[in-house]
Amino acid sequence: MSATVLTSAEDLQASEQQGAVLLGMEGVAQSFGGLQVLRNVNIDVPQGRIVGLIGPNGSGKTTCFSIISGFLRPNAGRVHFAGDDVTAWSIQQRSRAGLVRTFQTPKVFEHMTVLENLMVGDYKSTHTGILGAMFRTPGAGAELSAMRERAKACAERFGLAKLLSTRAGLLPAGQRRVVELARACIGNPKVLLLDEPSSGLNSEEIETLRHWIVTLNREGLTVFLVSHDMGLMTVCEKVHVLYFGEVIASGSLAEVQADARVCEAYLGV
Amino acid sequence: MFPHPRLAIATASVLAWFLLPQVLSLHYLDVLNFAAILAIGGLGVGLLLGQCGIVNLGQAAFYGCGAYVTAYGTTVLGWPALPSLVFGAVISGGLAALIGFPILRLSGFFLALATLAMGSIAGVLFFEWDWLTGGTLGMGGIPKLSLLGFELSTPGRYHYFIWPLVVLLLWLARNLVDSRPGLAMRAMRDAAPAAEVLAVDMHGLKTAMFVICAVLGSVAGSLFAHYVSFVSVQSFTVEKSIMFLLVPVVAGVHSVFGIVIGALFVALVPELLSGLGDMHQVLFGLVLVLVVTVVPGGLTGAFKQFRLIRRGR
Repeated sequence: MSATVLTSAEDLQASEQQGAVLLGMEGVAQSFGGLQVLRNVNIDVPQGRIVGLIGPNGSGKTTCFSIISGFLRPNAGRVHFAGDDVTAWSIQQRSRAGLVRTFQTPKVFEHMTVLENLMVGDYKSTHTGILGAMFRTPGAGAELSAMRERAKACAERFGLAKLLSTRAGLLPAGQRRVVELARACIGNPKVLLLDEPSSGLNSEEIETLRHWIVTLNREGLTVFLVSHDMGLMTVCEKVHVLYFGEVIASGSLAEVQADARVCEAYLGV
Repeated sequence: MFPHPRLAIATASVLAWFLLPQVLSLHYLDVLNFAAILAIGGLGVGLLLGQCGIVNLGQAAFYGCGAYVTAYGTTVLGWPALPSLVFGAVISGGLAALIGFPILRLSGFFLALATLAMGSIAGVLFFEWDWLTGGTLGMGGIPKLSLLGFELSTPGRYHYFIWPLVVLLLWLARNLVDSRPGLAMRAMRDAAPAAEVLAVDMHGLKTAMFVICAVLGSVAGSLFAHYVSFVSVQSFTVEKSIMFLLVPVVAGVHSVFGIVIGALFVALVPELLSGLGDMHQVLFGLVLVLVVTVVPGGLTGAFKQFRLIRRGR
């Protein structure tokens, strides 16, 4: 690990421009039964950057994402985020801290409208409890209205305004991906983990996706991206290459493409 | 046809509520009151099933708990009705939290089986603990409910009391479904991992909803005990749990106000079929199979489909 690990919120602010590490995996190992999926994985994601993770099928990319987002506890090593060791944190704690992921197959809430999907994205920044909701306390009503307004504004921004009352389960793959992205962004995350975001999309939809990744990053969002799509990977400033559970190269896309081990293991040239 | 269909339905419902005791026989008023009790218990099961995706096959446990606490409280301890009802709801809610906390880690069929086991165990305990429940002999002499000094001693009077209570509970449930926690419930039902990523505390929310379901079951049980003045183990079997589950299934699991239609169906159809003789239970089973096969979205789902088709034309 070459980059510095942040220790406080002040450090975080001060070093925003310096690309200090916001999210990282240190010495992470994971096995399922006798199968060693990750071995001593060290990955760093600097603040405000777009970082990619590539590797052949079964190399452990999604396992990395599952460990970072809290779906899996690693057998060894630690995950740190914004200066905290979050290895033992729940998925919800990580989410509230600003670490949000999307899924390889877009997981929209199918029986809910696009507006309701976006409103759920605002869940962590709101507080109404069950009793307040049942008795429609003034606070609960005001909070729900505010959630609705924020969701509408978000929909407007992501070009979903005309679909607000459409059931999300009826949307095509590209629009589902945008809904998932908008829903993740409405809660103002610090890091967005995108797992194969271009899978199932046509070239036009991939261009839209690329536009959003770049735009959100320019606005300060750190993005960690897993993809097989080398075209989409060109948005990354740094790429880690995973091969059979080990990071075999890290650097700019051009650098890893020129790496002999990467060429042999993954790119097949 | 009607410029405000919802207003028309509400007006017709209020008129029906007011006029039915004048025109219906005591027997059918009785059936309507049982439908209201089913609606209250079924509402809890419906909230779990339709909003959280949890199948509860053990609602009779909480229904029985409420009924026995009311029976014991009012006849043995001499408590008034309201404290007995509240105490029953507190005990049921507490038990639901204790039982729900571990079993709600399960999901799908395993969770459904766990609730079925809970209902079966409760049935055995109601039977075995005859020093508390009266066993098969039951407990009688439960006083009729009184409201502001007015005794609800006839099916007609009970009808005027219980249906507004059903509407109040449905309104509270509707508020919940349309709220922030309601959105979270539906999110975890549709895509649990995505809900977790958005910081929804799924286990806490499921446990809270299980408690609410139990409280509704318990209130239904207490109201049943006051209405019939007698409780025994035969009223709290697994079969009763399945009837509570049928209410939202027939109604359409996502509908809150549809619970009334489901409860009326489950209470009324066997009565209407009973004129056909010994085979009426078999016929009721066939009707149920027909409903869930032909309209898998329930009766309210069928109604929505019909409206969509009409609009399409």
